[in-house]
This record gives sequence, structure tokens and C-alpha cells, in this order.
Amino acid sequence: MKDIISLEEICYSYYRNIPAVCGISLDIKEGERFAVIGANGSGKSTLLQIMNGLLQQSAGKYLFRGIEVSEKTFRDKEFLRFFRGRVGYVFQDSDIQLFCPTVLDELLYGPLQLQINEKEAMDRAFEVMQILNIENLKDRPSYMLSGGEKKRVAIGSVLTMNPEVLLLDEPTNGLDPRTQVFLVELMLALSDAGKTLVIATHDLSLVDELHMRVALLSEEHKIVKIGSSGEILADEDSLLNANLIHEHVHYHGQAIHKHRHSHFLFHKH
Amino acid sequence: MKSKIPSFLLERPSSDSFTQGSVGLKIPFIEKGIHHVANVIKTGYIQWETAARDSFFHRIDARIKVLFLIFFIVIVSLKNDILPEALIGGFIFSLMTIARLNIVGLYKRVFFLAFFFGFLVALPSAFNVITKGDIIIPVLRLSRPYRFWIYQIPGEIGITREGFYGVVMLTSRVMNSLALSFLVLYTTPFPEIIRALKVLRVPDGFLMIITLSYKYMFIFAKTVEDMHLAKKSRLAGQVNNVDARGWIAGRIAFMFKKTRLRCEEIFKAMQSRGFSDNIKIYGVGQLHASDWIAGVIFFLIGVLFLWM
Repeated sequence: MKDIISLEEICYSYYRNIPAVCGISLDIKEGERFAVIGANGSGKSTLLQIMNGLLQQSAGKYLFRGIEVSEKTFRDKEFLRFFRGRVGYVFQDSDIQLFCPTVLDELLYGPLQLQINEKEAMDRAFEVMQILNIENLKDRPSYMLSGGEKKRVAIGSVLTMNPEVLLLDEPTNGLDPRTQVFLVELMLALSDAGKTLVIATHDLSLVDELHMRVALLSEEHKIVKIGSSGEILADEDSLLNANLIHEHVHYHGQAIHKHRHSHFLFHKH
Repeated sequence: MKSKIPSFLLERPSSDSFTQGSVGLKIPFIEKGIHHVANVIKTGYIQWETAARDSFFHRIDARIKVLFLIFFIVIVSLKNDILPEALIGGFIFSLMTIARLNIVGLYKRVFFLAFFFGFLVALPSAFNVITKGDIIIPVLRLSRPYRFWIYQIPGEIGITREGFYGVVMLTSRVMNSLALSFLVLYTTPFPEIIRALKVLRVPDGFLMIITLSYKYMFIFAKTVEDMHLAKKSRLAGQVNNVDARGWIAGRIAFMFKKTRLRCEEIFKAMQSRGFSDNIKIYGVGQLHASDWIAGVIFFLIGVLFLWM
């Protein structure tokens, strides 16, 4: 499999002063399921936004299918269409992602931007609504949707563009268990369909369920380790240092007891 | 689920490369506007960072600095001559230098704001239509004088000496007032300013409005920037003006709705924590000898400027 995304020594600082990511190098292969995990503020979302060309790295090189992605290349109309049609981004906050008057408009926005003809765009929108079970929401404005429905529409609005790479920022955050399970199944199905999935999360059980390759980010905004989900999740020391699990102290009768604790490790079966 | 995946999602793009186009993209007006909003956030951050530095001016108590600001703004407004205004300007500049502020960045902002809120606002009064006097720069000659509403339009229209002097005075007052405000704002953490205003008996309602507006400005700016990024991530070409206007209108409505909801939630949160229309402050210490000395020096310099 060829590399679809290559990052070489990527750095980004907010306000040229607060480091968000430092010296990140990684390669993501075509069709791979890849996760960036780390504590809050470790730079996961920033890294995903750089991969989507929304933020421009202050140092380093970003290659998409071997083509350099930079402010300069985005000034080329052809490249912009090429890139946006291939890389889709689902934001953590669905509220900011949904900006069209109705759900149907939302699903049509991307394909029409890519100059796909109206009939095909409409077909795509209805097919996507079907798999996401949102057909009944077609004419609703986004502010009349629940959190789970918004997330489905946000994912749908990207799926209608048929991107090769799907970047998902904290996809299961704040969703009820049934919607979470639905999303996991959807992600597996999309992966089987050949899509490259890149997610940013601190939900270790999601990483485990999707059997992903994982990049662990430290609180110093650097990569600690890249490996399979099994390998990374077994490395409790690194997870502890990266603030993804914690040490838990409690009493058993009169005896004080201390052990490492995470919801993933705790509930694993 | 797999069987349900639509067939178009199984299609692969026809090519892994793209043909380099000859047409470049112009940065649209809306994008530039959003960058400006982002700059507001950056400015806020810089205020927080520079206010936390350590210098002679930073160390002075916020109460003294707020009184200094009010006193000097009054002096700036009372002066009717260019020379004292210029001297006050020089004094503020030297204080900024002592406080090790970014002089170029701050004065850029001062000039920008003074141009709009000082020079442009006052410019019409430079003409003899509004301010009578000797014409020093003739602009237009009419066949005869006219009378329009309350104005007597003379045959020769031009900038008068008195009018020009008025514009220069107003612009320099605005410049000095802005420079003074920036000096205090960039050398004093925002909570300290609020605490000083409270000690100086500024009404709580007013302080509450300033505090909440200041905080909300950053939340608002961040939301606007995020919304723009969300749109950018699905934008594959240039947007025409009609679409851009439609998007802005939709987003304004969304922000209005969100702001109203947030306002209600914040008020509920304040009430649940016992808010009773009063701002309680803590940690108001005694003024140090150095604060008194600085206060007296500023007072004497102010009196000197008043006397000039």
C-alpha cells in the first residue's frame, strides 16, 4: 500500500508562541485505520486540521499522495478541488460544521462544490441519508436536531463528497451509547469500502474496537510512539505519562489499594 | 452495515494526481474578514502576555494606573494647543518605551484608529461650509453661494486655517487618548483593571457588562473562526458574492441564537452560584510607597501639562 499522507517534522504554534504540535513525522497508508491519541491539549485536533489543510504548518513538510500541501499549492484552483474532493473532515463540534439552511442542503453542499451534476449529487444525498437513517430529517434546519442527529448529518455532509480520507475529530464524544455503536459500525464499513480513516480521540476503547494503527501524542505535543492498537494499549507506562490513564487510590476494607485505571482497561473483557 | 454502503462510496477517484491549473485563487473578502477576527483573538492573547511582563510601569498598582489614565485623558481633552498635545504624546511614548512594549505594533493600532475615529470624523469640519475662516486650501469654486438646509454654501469651498487646526487638534487628542489607553491596557492584567475600577466605585452593572463582553468577545471570535474553517474544509472553489452573503446572513442568525442561549445559561450559572447584583472582590492590598511615589510624579507632571 502506498503512503497517502506523509508528515515530516511538522510544527505548529498558536499565536506563534503556544506550541500545538512539535516535530511530528508519520506516514498513513492508503486504506489504513489510523488514530492519533493524546490527552486534552496535546495537539490532536491541530494535527488533523493540518492534514486537512485548514491550518498551515509553521515548519515541516506535508505530502498528500506525494504532492506537497502548502499555502502556495492551495492557491491553485485545480489542486484545491483535487484535495478537497479526497480529504474530508468531520469536526468535533457539529454545530459549527452545519451551516446550510436544511439537512438536504447540507448534504448537497460538498458535491455541488466539486461540480458534480445536480442529479448525481441528489442521488448521493438520498443514499447517504438512507445509511445514516436521517431521511426523515431531510427538510429540518440543523438547529432543530439532537446531538446524535447533528453528528450523523455532519458525517453525511462529508460522505456525499466521497473522500478517500476521512478525518474525524473525537467522533464519539458526547454521543449516547447507541449512536456510538452506530458510528463504530459505520467506520468499520467505510474502512472495508477502502476509505482511509484517521481519527483523533482519547477514547481508548474506540481505538481498540477499530484495531487501528496508533500515534500516541505526549502533553509536550510530540509523538511518543507509533504502533498497533494492541501494542500501544499494552504500554501502560506510556499511556500513564501521556495522561490517558491514571493511578487510582482507594480502600479495600482497611487496606489502601493503588492501581492504574482507565475506562478502557477497567471495562475490557 | 457493509451491504448498505452506497455504491458511489466504493468508487475510487480516476486519478491520483492533478493537472496544475493556470488559474490562481484570489483570497475573497470574507476570508480576509475572518482573518481579522482571528487577529482579535491574537490581540487579546498579546494583551494577556504583555500585561504579565515585569517593568517599572507594570509594577505600579492598577488603581494608580487607572487614575493616571482618567487624569491624563481629562488633560488631553482640556488642552487647546498643539505643543502641549505633542509633549503629552512624547511623554506617553517614553512611558511605552520604559514599559518595553511593542512600540511599532501599538502605534500602528493607534494611527489606524485615530485615522478613522479622529481624522475622518473631523475632516468635514475643516471646510468653510462648517468652520468659517481664511481659506488656505481652495477645493471648489461655485458660480454663486447656495443655501441648503441650515448650511450656507459659499461660492468658494476650501479648507480653512481654523478648520484645519480643529482637525489636527481633535486627531491629536484621539491619538493621545488611545495611546494612553493602550499603555494602561497592555501593562495591566484585565482582572486588575476591573478590580481597580471597582475600588474606584464604578457601578457593578457597568463592570459586569465589561467583564462579560470581554470574555464573550474571544468565545465569539473563536466560534466565527471555527465556522469559517468548517466551511473551508468543504470548499472546492471560489464562492460568488451572493453565496458569501447568504452564508454570512445564515451564520449571523446562528450566532445570534447561540449568543442568546449562552447568555441565558451564563445567567443561570451565575444565579446558581449565588449572584446578587454585586461583584465581590478580594485581595485588595495597601498601596506601596513606590505606588504613591509614582502617583505623585504622574500628578505633578499632569499639573505641569495643565499649566502649560
